[in-house]
This record gives sequence, structure tokens and C-alpha cells, in this order.
Amino acid sequence: MKKKYALFPGCLMPTEQYAYELSIRETLPLLDVELVDVEGFSCCGEPMKSVNQLLTLYLSARNLAIAQKHHLDLFVPCAMCHLALTECQHILEKNPAMKDRINDMLVAEDLAYTEKRHIVHTVDLLHDEIGVQKIKEHVKKPLQGVKIAVHYGCHILRPRELGRPDDSENPQKIEAILKALGAEPVNYPQKLDCCGAPLLANLPESALTKTGQKLQAIQEQGIQGLVDVCPWCHKMFDSRQTKAGETVAAKLDVPVVYLTQLLGVAFGLSAEKLGLDLNLSPVEKLQLEAAK
Amino acid sequence: MRRIGVFVCHCGINIAQNVDVKALAEYASQLNGVVVAKEYKYMCSDVGATLIKDTIKEFKLDGVVIASCSPRMHEHTFRRVANDGGVNPYRVEISNIREQCSWAHSNKGQATEKAKFLVRSSVSKALSLEPLKPSTLKVIPEALVIGGGIAGIQTSLDLADDGFKVHLVERDPSIGGHMAQLDKTFPTLDCSSCILTPKMMEVANHENIELLSYAEIVSIEGSIGNYTVKIKKKPRYVDVDKCTGCGDCAAACRLKDRIVSEFNQGMGKRGAAYMPFPQAVPLKYVIDDKKCLFLTKGKCGDEPLCKKACVQNAITFDQKEEIIERKVGAIVVATGYDVMDPTLVYEYGYDQSPDVVTTLELERLISSSGPTKGEILRPSNQQKPKSVTFILCVGSRDETQCTWCCRIGCMTALKQVYLLREKLGEDIEINVCYNDFRSFGKGYEEFYRKVRGLHTNMFRGRPSEVRTMKDHLKIDIFDTTTSKLFEIKTDMVVLVPAMMPRKDTTQFARLLHLTLSGDGFFLEAHPKLRPVDTFVNGIFIAGCCQAPKDIQDTVSQASAAASRAATILSQDELEIDPLIAMVDEDICTGCGICVEVCPYEARTLNERKRIAEVNDALCAGCGGCIAACPSNASIHKNFTKKQLLNMVDDIM
Amino acid sequence: MSIIDLTSMGEPQSEQRKELNDRLTKLQDEISDYCFQCARCTSGCEAHKLLELEPHKIVALLKRGLINELVNADVIWTCMTCLKCRERCPQRVAPVEILFALKNIAVANGKQIPGKYTAMLQSILSIGLIQDIQQTTTRTNKTVKREELGLPPLSKPTDVAKFQAGIMKIAMEKV
Ligand SMILES: Cc1cc2nc3c(=O)[nH]c(=O)nc-3n(C[C@H](O)[C@H](O)[C@H](O)COP(=O)(O)OP(=O)(O)OC[C@H]3O[C@@H](n4cnc5c(N)ncnc54)[C@H](O)[C@@H]3O)c2cc1C
Ligand code: SF4
Ligand code: SF4
Ligand code: SF4
Ligand code: SF4
Repeated sequence: MKKKYALFPGCLMPTEQYAYELSIRETLPLLDVELVDVEGFSCCGEPMKSVNQLLTLYLSARNLAIAQKHHLDLFVPCAMCHLALTECQHILEKNPAMKDRINDMLVAEDLAYTEKRHIVHTVDLLHDEIGVQKIKEHVKKPLQGVKIAVHYGCHILRPRELGRPDDSENPQKIEAILKALGAEPVNYPQKLDCCGAPLLANLPESALTKTGQKLQAIQEQGIQGLVDVCPWCHKMFDSRQTKAGETVAAKLDVPVVYLTQLLGVAFGLSAEKLGLDLNLSPVEKLQLEAAK
Repeated sequence: MRRIGVFVCHCGINIAQNVDVKALAEYASQLNGVVVAKEYKYMCSDVGATLIKDTIKEFKLDGVVIASCSPRMHEHTFRRVANDGGVNPYRVEISNIREQCSWAHSNKGQATEKAKFLVRSSVSKALSLEPLKPSTLKVIPEALVIGGGIAGIQTSLDLADDGFKVHLVERDPSIGGHMAQLDKTFPTLDCSSCILTPKMMEVANHENIELLSYAEIVSIEGSIGNYTVKIKKKPRYVDVDKCTGCGDCAAACRLKDRIVSEFNQGMGKRGAAYMPFPQAVPLKYVIDDKKCLFLTKGKCGDEPLCKKACVQNAITFDQKEEIIERKVGAIVVATGYDVMDPTLVYEYGYDQSPDVVTTLELERLISSSGPTKGEILRPSNQQKPKSVTFILCVGSRDETQCTWCCRIGCMTALKQVYLLREKLGEDIEINVCYNDFRSFGKGYEEFYRKVRGLHTNMFRGRPSEVRTMKDHLKIDIFDTTTSKLFEIKTDMVVLVPAMMPRKDTTQFARLLHLTLSGDGFFLEAHPKLRPVDTFVNGIFIAGCCQAPKDIQDTVSQASAAASRAATILSQDELEIDPLIAMVDEDICTGCGICVEVCPYEARTLNERKRIAEVNDALCAGCGGCIAACPSNASIHKNFTKKQLLNMVDDIM
Repeated sequence: MSIIDLTSMGEPQSEQRKELNDRLTKLQDEISDYCFQCARCTSGCEAHKLLELEPHKIVALLKRGLINELVNADVIWTCMTCLKCRERCPQRVAPVEILFALKNIAVANGKQIPGKYTAMLQSILSIGLIQDIQQTTTRTNKTVKREELGLPPLSKPTDVAKFQAGIMKIAMEKV
């Protein structure tokens, strides 16, 4: 059975984190997921929560309403967007007054939020909807010998009361997927620590220090690399790795890849299709055997 | 012509401030069938009672209406007073003008009007009340005690000493409960087994106690004074009459030291033939039928080694489960508690490192009969730890786990700090992360002071998590006394887990028709005035099955429950409340619906007469059958349809 | 009768405290009054070690009603929204959400918004996203463009005027 989702790209992935988008668009259709590009989406609103949470709610509700208009469920690859949309849906469902208020404003764009949508992230889409077994069946080049740490990202794990893609304290779904790909997930005490990204807007130094500390801990434990599932986390760990290293006075060279990139490599896709040359961290150290 | 008297109570000012009691009495005296109406400050007092009795005699009353508080408070009192005065006690009607009137309204005029309605309808009911006579039931002077922890042990001994026969049912192979697992007990540091073992021995040897260990309750039928209990005796595969407790079977067992020992909290090992602990009572071996090779696979090498080793020839693999029946007059439930599974708080690392233990596990490590013979060794490397850190309130006082306080965690941690200092000396570091220290009992605060003097590092705060590092555990703790964040690197972490209701409490409660409180423990009939009673007459609760508590409180409750049970057992007969169901034999069609709905198994079908019948001793007067009966043949005495409709008519 | 904080001569603002609590219950079912100062939030706070944020103290000050002090403090802008405080609070208090509310109040009161928030807001207003397509390079320093990679055009609001009208309306309102 084909699964169909509107791809909700958010802001960061489609404007700079192309490796994630490329690898998503390459791998998911192989697993019978149809991704529909929908016009008119905007920012999920999460980056504005500090400024005005009503604006966050409005923007999230607006995006949910667009998906509703197309009768589509949502695939949201960004952890922050996923939390924003989930939380908005939660608040509107339990607070009818707020729902009416938001809907009054949505009228301006001929939109309305009236029914719940299923909102999935990369992790639960792969693990729960598609299933590890099916992923395993598609593996052509098992990732033998790839010993890698996992960074889930705060926003897909917490708060558990809103229903998140994996367990808040002992998430294991990415590990299960990695094992299906033939790789070996490595546990480390800092697994649940933050990447620092949310501070990027106003305290970039501190944000990068957080990034640097986590990467440094991984490097010191001799772990080969890091896999992530959020454009923000990846921006910190991969795109800004050198800068992050400076904040903790360390020369960092930890390969960082998106889970979907590893998925593609194991499925036998080429490095180019998966955007592997867009990773700024030394991914070649992972010695992935991507097709040419 | 009936002669009803109405008595209006002021309840001090509780009623009088919102209801015009004089006007109410005046109004009542005018009602049809009422020959006198009086008001008084406290009807339930001696003076009030005398007033009622004298009025009954003076006016030759044959029915009484008391306008006062809820019948739950004083119905019983007023029935007795009426009886003393010469009126049938079931011809007393209470009109609740306090909870349902004066307390609920603030406008005096309107409240008074409402009170008039209430009294009027009560009078109409009183006019049609039948005089009833309670029947009697012979009391079986024996007790059932369920659970052989310190609570069940104490209750059994008290009742047995009072001369009653006691059947003590314990699920495990030995009695003793959690207390048997403890090393020393706070705040006095008595050795737990030194004070417990003599009591266990007394249970074993008392002529009035039948100890049914390794047994479970299957069903309970009947009511106060006369219960029939079915008990399942699980097979021990050891003939207890022959077994001398020598231990040759355990020594010979092929699985010796291969199975985790429950008694040692999974830290020690035992065989399939085993005794849970050396002081077990009864001092008889048992064969674990879930593990034994012969019992699970039908084959244990060439022959079962235990059987070969036993010179008494006590091993009997063909023993079967047995259901026995006992009749008792009262029941005491003392099934204790469970310690919370620490993996529920995953972030505290219990699942991730063997060096994260619970206080109960530490008790076993401290105990000289434990898996390390009393040496404190770090589980991961069997070395003496250089630093031990306690975390209090794990899962307790937590809206996401157990909302209540475990009541013994603080004292247990303090006790263990003391014992660790004693065993490991001055040079090890001991840290305690606490939220508040709750040291409320006699001698507890003094004990807390003593431990403060043992240079313990006390951090006031809760850690967010425990991290398992390469060769140590790491805790970040914000200490609110210094307003500083500390990083603790430590060898062992001891979690103080919440105390929870037994896992099977809900099913067990259903078996006994007991109610649970919101936290899942058994609910007492009144938190202050009936702390060991339940809502089922004849069944009492004691110890940690009611709520977490220490041994002192457990034992006090156990003795209280014994004394409450004795109050019943010491009577020859009990009166049965006549306010129960009956069947109008002329109308009953024998459809049997009532038999199905009755939750107390009080209904049977008389096949010969083709009608339903009520067993007075079992009927609880719940009214279920009355509502269910399609032909109106089920009648609740003194709550007949006619009586109730009359009341309604009088209000409308 | 009155209460005064002698270190700052501040007085509790009970009205504002009530307003803030109402907002929190509306959005998160959260009642900060239940906090019993166990400091579990601060023990695990990602921002604490770097920037001295003390979520338990934020809750305590809120419970005292010292809202002005909180709203004017720069430290409320240091939260990393790691959500550990909300996840692990034994009393279901969510310091992170209290911090969001305080920041919102600071903005509504006209306090200077720090960092790039204003720029992001402006970008949302004009194109619906916090940023437009960025200059990106490969590991070997080659510049790449979105369309060259075969990716479809950006999804963003189609009728910008209508979209802006909606947002301008919200800017005037509070939760
Ligand atoms: C680590 C730790 C240390 C402690 N230290 C101290 C201390 O120093 N001082 C102190 O005062 N208190 C201490 N306590 C508290 C103490 O353990 C309890 O107060 C006491 O054990 C309660 O006794 P109980 O009989 O109510 O329950 P339990 O000890 O739990 O006994 C209940 C018994 O009922 C049996 N049972 C359960 N269900 C059934 C059933 N359905 N049918 C038949 N049998 C059943 C069980 O097998 C068990 O034998 C400590 C507790 C812990 C966890
Ligand atoms: S007794 Fe102490 S450890 Fe147990 S919940 Fe209460 S405060 Fe916490
Ligand atoms: S009132 Fe009826 S249903 Fe209830 S216990 Fe008596 S016989 Fe059973
Ligand atoms: S964790 Fe919760 S209860 Fe504890 S101090 Fe923080 S907000 Fe208060
Ligand atoms: S969400 Fe903010 S306040 Fe809460 S723990 Fe994380 S950084 Fe600290």
C-alpha cells in the first residue's frame, strides 16, 4: 500500500539544508511513500514562539489548514516544525475558544482548521509507518562496520505528553533502523543533550559552545560519527562544526550525516543523489560505499 | 391512627443559623399523623435522647422523625434511643436538614421552606414504615488473615492469643514479607531478623494458628460472621510432614546457584530446590516448578538429584495443587506493598548500570545473610566503593508516577548512610540528594541529627538524571542551599523508590468487594475514626496494603485490626440488618434476572416453587435486584416503591 | 498589609501573575503554583551551565509575583528550549513555557527584542519563511543553487498581501 503525505519543508531545509531534502526525496519513494509538494506553506511559527506565541499558533494552524484543504496528512522532517504543528493541533483540539479565534483570522486566506491531521516525522514514518522489516528488504549495500552515534534532537522527544515520535528518555527507533541498515549504533551518555540551535538567533556563541561540547564528547569517546534527523541539529553539527570547535578550543572532525543519507547509501543510491558532498563535516571518514 | 413525633435538632448553630427551627417544629406539629413536635439544641446528646424517650412515653408515639444531620452520622443512635423508648427502631425516619439543607443554602427563609418540605415527606414515609425485626446469625469464631508480613503476623498472634482460631494465608513459601529482607531497622537500629524471627516461630508453633504458606485465596463468599473461603495450596513438591529442612536437596540440585533469588532482590542465586532464606517459616524446602528441570522438561539428567539426596524421601513430584475450604467470621487483609520498578524512571540509570541499586537491594548487600555476606561491594567490579550517592523520592511525590510520599524513604536512606559509615569507615564519600527530609516519627528527628554528624554531603535538590560514564556514575545536582550546581562523580547510586500498591490489588479487591483509594491502596472506612475498617463489614485492613508506613505504624494497625476482628468473633450471634431485599412470592415469575444481577450471590432460584429467594445473611441491601426485577416482585424492606413515591408526592 | 522584596524594593504584581497563570493553563494545563522547588529542572537545564539560567528560580519568582523583575531580566532569553525541565518536572510545571510567556510579555511591553528575531519576523512578513534561499557550498567549496540540484521551487504563501494582513492583525493581539 502506498502512503501519501504532504511534504512540509519548513524554512531551514529548503533554503540551505539540501542534503536532507535530496535524500528524503530519493529514498522515501523507494519505500512506497508518495510525497506531495503543496503550494503556499509558510514557516511553522516555532522560531517566533519567544516573540509572540499567538503568531506561532497562527502560522502552525495555517499550515495544518492548507494540508486539510488538500486532504493530506503531513510529513514533517524538521523536529522543530514537527513540535510546533503537533502542539498547535493539541491546543486547538482541547481549547475551542482558541480554535475559533484562530479560525477567525484564517478566513482572510480562505482557510480553516477543523479536523486533525496525522503528523509524522522521519523517525516515526520510517520506524512505525514503513517498518524496519520493509527497510531491511530494500538494503542492497549493508553499512557494515559503520559504528555511529545517534542524535535525536530535543523537539522530537519532548514533551512526551504531546505524543512524540519516540520515547523521551530511552529512544531506540533510529538505532533499530540503523541496525536494519547493517550499521552499529553506539550508545553514549550525552545522547539526549541539546544541539544548541534554538539559541542561534540571539546568542550564537553560546549556541555553538553547546554544539562543540557535544561533538567534543563524541570525538573523545572515539565514536566514528553522528547521525541526525533535523535540519537545525545538522546545521549545528555539520555546517557549523568548525566554528563550534573554536568555541571549545578543539579541532573537531566528526562526520555527521542525515539518517536518510545513510538509508540511501544502504539502498545503493549515489553520493550525488544523496547530497553527500553537501555535508561540510568529513563524511568521507565513514568510508561509505555510495554508488558512483 | 398512627402517632408520629417530630424532633428538630439545632445542631448547635449548624442547622439553626440557616433554618428557623422553631417555625419548623411548629409547622411539623400541624402535619397529618403528627401528635407532637419538639426542637432542641443537640438531639444526639444525652439530654436530647432523654427528651425523645420521655416524649415517646408521654405521647404514646409509634413512629419518630428526627430532623437533623445525615443518617450516616446518627441513624444508629436514634434507632437505639427509639428502641429504648419503646418504638420499633425501624420506624425511625431521619430527615437530613443539615448536609442537604442548612449547609447547602444561605438564605434562611428559603432554607426553612425547604426544610419543611423535607420534614413533610419524611413524616409521610414514617407513616408507612413497617416495624422490622433483625434476624440473627451464628458467628464462626475463627479468622482469616491474608498476607504473612509483619502486619499479618502481628494480627494472627493477637487473635490467636485471644483464643480465636486463625488461618494465615501467605502467598510465598515463607512468611516474613519485606521485613525479613531488611538488615537493621530505623530509628533504633534493631536487627530486623532478631526481632522478626521469634514472632515467625511463634506463628509456626501457636496451637491456634493454621499457617497456610505458598497458598492463595480463590474465592470468598458470605458475610460478616460467616464467610466461606476457598484457598488454593500450591504444590511444594516436598512433603512438609517429612521434610526436616536439612537442605540436602538444595545442595544436590542440578540448578544450584543458577536461578536469581527473589529474596536477595535478584542479586544472589539459588537452585530450583530452595529455601528463600535461612530463617524461613515454615522451615521447609520448596521446588520451583517454573524452573525445575524435572517439572518443566520431564527429565533431570538420569534422575532428579534432589530426590536422590533426600534421606527422608520427602520429594514428591506428583504433588498436585489443592483447593481447601475454611469457614471464618472475620477477615484481615495484610497484603503489604510493592517497591516501584526503578526502570520506570529510566533517566536514573537503573537499566544502564549495575552500580545503580535500590534501597531494598542495598539492604540485602548490607545484610550478613545477603549475597555478599554483608560486605558492601560495588556490583560492577566487586570492589569496595569510594563514593556512594543516594537519591530520594524516586517516583514519589511525582505527578507522573506516584503522587504520594513513601513515608519511609528518608529514614531508610538515613539508616543506610549510618550503616555504610559503620561498615566502610570514615574515608568513603557519602552524598544524599534530598527534596525534604521527612523525619516525623518518635526518635526520627534525633536520628537525622545523628546522621548529619557523620559528615554526609547533603544536597537539597533533585538530580535530573544519572549518567553512566566509563568508570563511574555522574550526577549533576543543583543544590538550593548553596545555589550552586555540583557535579558528583560516584561509584554507586542508591535510588529510594516509591512504595506502590501490590500489582494485583485491583483484582484482589474485586474478590473481596473492597474499595481502593485514588492511589490504588485499600481504602479505610474513615481516615481518622475507622482507620482499619473497610466498607465491607467483617473485613479489616492492616499495614502497607492501606498506605505506605513504617514497621511501628504497621504493627499498631495490625493490633488494631485484630482487636476490631475480635469484637465480632467474641459475639455468639450477630444481628442482621433487616433493611434488605425480599420477594413477593405471589408476583415473582421466577425469571431469575435478580440471580444474575446480585453482586453478593444472595439470590437463588427455588426450582420447586419457581420463585427467587433471598439469603438474608448474604444480602447487602444494595438494591440491584429491585431495579432489575421486571415484575416488581423484588422489594426492599421499608424502601418500597409506594413509600418512596409517597415521599415524592409530598414534596411536589 | 503588604509584601516587599527588600533587595530590590520590588512588590509582587498579583494581577499580572494571575494573567500569566491563566495564559499558561490555557496553553499547557500548567499550574506553576504546584512547584515545590525541588530544582530538578535546574539540575538538568541545558542553559544553566553556560548562561546561569535557573528555571526553578524563575518559577519561584513567578509564584512570588515578581513579574517585572523577571520580564526585565536578560536571562529569560537564554533558554535553549531543550524541554528537559518540562519533561522531568515531578509536579508537571513547565518552566520552559513560563519563559516563553515572559519573553512574550517583554516584547509586548516594548522591550528591545534581542538578536535576529526581528530580522526573522520581517522575513516571515515578506516571504513567509524565516530566511530566503541561502548561499551554499559543497565540502570542496563549490557553490550550489537549489534549482541546480533538481529540487522543486520553494513552497511559500502565494498571496502575500492576504498573508501579511493576517499576521499584522496578530501582532496587535496577545495569547
Ligand atoms: C528498603 C526498605 C527499608 C525499610 N526499612 C525500614 C526500617 O528500617 N524501619 C521501619 O520501620 N520500616 C522499614 N521499612 C518499611 C517496612 O518494610 C514496612 O513497614 C513493613 O514491611 C510493612 O509490612 P506489611 O506486612 O504491611 O507488608 P509486607 O512486608 O509487604 O508483607 C505482605 C505479605 O503479604 C503477602 N501477600 C501479598 N499479597 C498476597 C495475597 N494476595 N495472598 C497472600 N499473601 C499475600 C506477601 O507475600 C508478604 O509476605 C523499609 C522498607 C523498605 C522498602
Ligand atoms: S519519605 Fe522521603 S524519600 Fe519517601 S517520598 Fe517522602 S520525602 Fe521522598
Ligand atoms: S439487594 Fe438484591 S442485589 Fe443487592 S445484595 Fe440483596 S439480593 Fe443481592
Ligand atoms: S522541577 Fe518542577 S517542581 Fe521542581 S523546581 Fe522545577 S518547576 Fe518546580
Ligand atoms: S527548556 Fe530551557 S529552561 Fe528548560 S531545561 Fe531546557 S534550557 Fe533550561
